[in-house]
Amino acid sequence: MTDLAIVTEKLTRRFGALTAVDNVDLRVTAGQFFGFLGPNGAGKSTTIKMLTGLLAPTSGRMQLLGMDFSSHTLAVKRQIGVVPEGMGLFERLTGAEYLNFVGRMYGLDHATTLQRTEELLEFMQLADRPKSMIADYSHGMQKKLALAAAVIHGPRILFLDEPFEGVDALAAGALKALLGRMTARGATIFLTSHVLEIVERLCSHVGIIHQGRLVAQGSIQELRAGIAGEEGTKTTLEQIFLSIVGQNGAERSQIEELSWLT
Amino acid sequence: MADVAQPVGILKQIGLIAGLRWRMLHNNLRRKQNRLDLLGLIIGGVLAGALVLGVCFVLFEGARGFVYSGNTTWLSLIFWAIFAWWQLSPIVVAGFGVSFDFRKLLRFPMSFGTFYIIALAYGLADFSGLAAVCWLVSVVIGAISAQISLLFPMVAVGLLFVLFNVTLERLLGSWLERWLAQRRSRELFFAGFILLMLGLQLLGPLMNRFGNSVGPWLMRALPYFAYFPASLAGKSVGAASAGNYREFMLAAGGIACYALFFGSLLWLRFAAQYRGEELSESQAPEKTVRKTVRRETAEGTLGLMSPQIAAVIRKEFRYLLRNGFAAMVLLIPPILVFALISQSSLLQFMGSKGLSPELFFPSFVAYIVLILMAPAYNSFAYENTGVQTYFTAPLQFRDVFLGKNFVQVCLIVTELTLCIAAFCYRVGAPSAPIFLATLAAIVFTVVGQLSIANWSSLSFPRKLAFGQVHGQRQSRMAVLIAFAAQILLFGISSLVLGLGRWTGDRWLPAKVFALLAAAAVGGYVAALDALTSYAEKKKETLIEALCR
Repeated sequence: MTDLAIVTEKLTRRFGALTAVDNVDLRVTAGQFFGFLGPNGAGKSTTIKMLTGLLAPTSGRMQLLGMDFSSHTLAVKRQIGVVPEGMGLFERLTGAEYLNFVGRMYGLDHATTLQRTEELLEFMQLADRPKSMIADYSHGMQKKLALAAAVIHGPRILFLDEPFEGVDALAAGALKALLGRMTARGATIFLTSHVLEIVERLCSHVGIIHQGRLVAQGSIQELRAGIAGEEGTKTTLEQIFLSIVGQNGAERSQIEELSWLT
Repeated sequence: MADVAQPVGILKQIGLIAGLRWRMLHNNLRRKQNRLDLLGLIIGGVLAGALVLGVCFVLFEGARGFVYSGNTTWLSLIFWAIFAWWQLSPIVVAGFGVSFDFRKLLRFPMSFGTFYIIALAYGLADFSGLAAVCWLVSVVIGAISAQISLLFPMVAVGLLFVLFNVTLERLLGSWLERWLAQRRSRELFFAGFILLMLGLQLLGPLMNRFGNSVGPWLMRALPYFAYFPASLAGKSVGAASAGNYREFMLAAGGIACYALFFGSLLWLRFAAQYRGEELSESQAPEKTVRKTVRRETAEGTLGLMSPQIAAVIRKEFRYLLRNGFAAMVLLIPPILVFALISQSSLLQFMGSKGLSPELFFPSFVAYIVLILMAPAYNSFAYENTGVQTYFTAPLQFRDVFLGKNFVQVCLIVTELTLCIAAFCYRVGAPSAPIFLATLAAIVFTVVGQLSIANWSSLSFPRKLAFGQVHGQRQSRMAVLIAFAAQILLFGISSLVLGLGRWTGDRWLPAKVFALLAAAAVGGYVAALDALTSYAEKKKETLIEALCR
């Protein structure tokens, strides 16, 4: 039997009258590079927040690595890493101080934390500015630091919300390689991105959420098989995505009608 | 071809920005969290309103009396008081208004003149400015009610004085903001402030020694104050009252010159902002030098704690040391206490009023605890998005509170130890029963407040900007809760001390406080688990408030 890293059953989150996530049943196998897609406001961030303990579900169940999240919260958190929305950095610490802090918060011993901090800063090319506070980092540097903090404890599941946004091409290449090696070693990566080319290149499986509902889930090949593309051409993830979330002609014509735009 | 946006008039733009601020306030109140805050705002507003009205009445009567008795130049004293309030209170009170960064307006097609006027006009929109204007109006009305012929001079002087003060206040705020944007200058400012406070402490002994020679020197310097705007304002009213309009025009012209001078400097400052001045920590990218990351080799006593608590403690100390103003607030009480007890007149005063160290000791300890506990009621204020780490990391939230509270208690213990030692050396030690009762009372009031403060931090979080003075707004509810908790705990403490005096049992307060302290510690420990569950319930509120 295949090990499931993430399982949700009828996961629902309401904000007053708005249902942001509606009965989502996710299945992510251990070791998968899973891309979680959806238009703006579809419920991606809300789902990630629930899966990482930042938001309580209104109803439904979540199992991570075979453990029920609500009853084994701490045990689950020890096994996951996350780059939350807004990156969750303490901006008045230096990069090294922040990684030390996070390492210790995840229960790593002092020596291991120091060693990993040094290695991560070198790997992320952040070791050049040891005295700079995070507030003075560029957006891309902050992103790299947030990623470093997410992996410092060697998580078995990594949740990444738009990890490549603002990261330069060199660093993005190194990060992709790092993430690839993690999945090769059995780690599961749950990633959201608006850049569908990145998802297509990195992820083996995708889930598509639209208006709070999970409308598609499976390997890219499986989804491709369900969409009729032009004969002789390979259907892209963008075509699959647009086909599933229902980008129709009516919305296009509205944009085209903005005649006052030059 | 597309339409081109039409130029917008200055009044229209001011109206739009006023509307924007109103919408911001209105939309803020739509949140349940902020509606609770509104309650605090209303209560705070009523108290502040009472203060402003009370002072208005006093100034009205004062101005009327001065004019009526012919001592119109004494109005200078009132103008000096208003000037001091207007310029100093924004730094001390740190502003009542909603934070609004004018640089955000620069993306719009706005002329520099409009930007300048809007930025200047908003100097009147905070509490200190509004209060000062109310007081000036009451002075003007008071003077006119005594002598109707002063209508025009008082209105003219009042307007010039408002213009001068608002310009200077905006200029000082702008300079301070620019200067403190750099970490190095913040540290210099911080060091300078401490030196100034320590210097003031020496003022008393110096005055005692050289007071006789300083007196005449001060008297010689006094006439020079006549050329400052507050004195000129009083002088111009006095001249108008006596019918000397030439002197009135000269003095009023002097105030106008000051306003023009500072207005020009402000123009240059705002021009720099208008051109897009950058106030970040490092204006230019640092030269990249490959350096080995500094290793922290020693764990010290923190090694005895759980890694999570130790990590929170380290982070708290780092944040404290890097947040100049927060650190400064913590240093003010001991500095003031040192300054107070170094005055030889204090001992004379205590002797003349029959005040013994027995009474004075608990009071000054209560004062220090009162000031130092205030930040604990909104302890996540500077965390920003980092607060999410506390919820994603595998830890019980009690560890976060234990770390934060440990730092708070360390600060209080350190400051109190220094102050008590200085007090005992200078004023004399209180008797053993009072000394021990006070120590037990410290445990009771500090630990008792910590539980309430932790709850308040989760329930009414408010994000504060690091190292900033202007536009900072504490959570009103947190302030009210702090106020209520302190009244309650210090009320109980006063009652216990009074009971000791009433029964004649000198050891009774110590015994009662020991019991109360034990109860407070027990309550604190019990509350930690409840607060951990409560943090889970309130995490959305907390994250929303701090990550916005």
